[in-house]
Amino acid sequence: MEKSIESIWKEGFLQKNAMVVPKLNNLYNKKSIHIIDKFKRMFKINLNALVVFSFVVLPVSFFVKIPVMGIMMFILFNVIVIINKRLLKGLDKIDKNVSSYQYLKSFDTWMQEQIAINVKMSSYIYPYVFIAMVSGFWFSNDIRETSNRILGNYQPDMIYGMPIYWMASMFVIIILLAIFGGRIYKLDLKIVYGGLLKKIAELISDMEDLRTE
Amino acid sequence: MSSDFYTVSILPYSGIIIKICRAYTDSQEDFEDYYQEVCLQIWRSKDQFRGDSKWSTWIYRLSLNICLTLIRKKKKTRQFFNSDAIDHTEEGEENTAFSNENLGLLYEAIKRLSEIDRAVILLYLEEKPNKEIAEIIGTTPNNIAVRVIRIKERLKKILDGKIN
Repeated sequence: MEKSIESIWKEGFLQKNAMVVPKLNNLYNKKSIHIIDKFKRMFKINLNALVVFSFVVLPVSFFVKIPVMGIMMFILFNVIVIINKRLLKGLDKIDKNVSSYQYLKSFDTWMQEQIAINVKMSSYIYPYVFIAMVSGFWFSNDIRETSNRILGNYQPDMIYGMPIYWMASMFVIIILLAIFGGRIYKLDLKIVYGGLLKKIAELISDMEDLRTE
Repeated sequence: MSSDFYTVSILPYSGIIIKICRAYTDSQEDFEDYYQEVCLQIWRSKDQFRGDSKWSTWIYRLSLNICLTLIRKKKKTRQFFNSDAIDHTEEGEENTAFSNENLGLLYEAIKRLSEIDRAVILLYLEEKPNKEIAEIIGTTPNNIAVRVIRIKERLKKILDGKIN
């Protein structure tokens, strides 16, 4: 007579080897290496994407006749990539043979240094991007002609040949970008790597709990 | 995770965790990963246990949810890297985890069911009452009763002639 699935289930699990409990010790090792490898992969992909983007922006800027902006952005993107590739080398130096907790802590230290450097750089990067954009439009004949057509006979107040209110507004924007550059970078970071960084923080916190329990 | 917590609160229920993890994995390595992840999540979420249900019911529910999340994540990764890989592994791999051949075949058949049907039949085979299964799955006991009959018929069809 054919066996019922209930009896197959019961009989099968009566045998000892059907219920061997796996060991738990390797979990954190695997998790920490996996998460950091994932971060490295994402970081490298983003840097490479930035290089590709800079090489797209450059010819496009010439095509749309704002080459000043294109050149400035090209330089900026590549400087960011070079600096961050150097920072990445520090990450490769982290020893994988230490305990998972030490490995994650080393990574966290590296991450904090990396964030601190980028926060400082952001105070210059965002104003630079703004200046690049304004310069691009300022030195573009086509855009000047178009704006002249739109604005008609409008003449801005000039002091020493400079449109003073326009200059003052731009100066305020540049100062604000310099002040808030770090915060904008942190927001950027949260959007791109937020999930991953949260997981790493949780893992470290778990392991710290483990050490105190 | 402290060894005390593991020994007292998880190990007595490791049987069901093992059975659930086996039903959602195709290899020993995956099975061990899923088991470890379930144990870790139980430890992490232990403070969320409010005593509304039995500790064992809570473990069942958590184990199922974690396995379902992991299996979905894995499917997404596979689809991203290689859409063909899913069919090869699901149909090609044999369950070598059990020395009892019939149990191995039953597990193979269970793995062919939908994710939710797998959960239902596992709980049924563990002799959980329909009310408790319904509570874990999030449906009504009547629905579970009908579903179990349908699943058993499907399993019988799959296993037809294969079981000694």
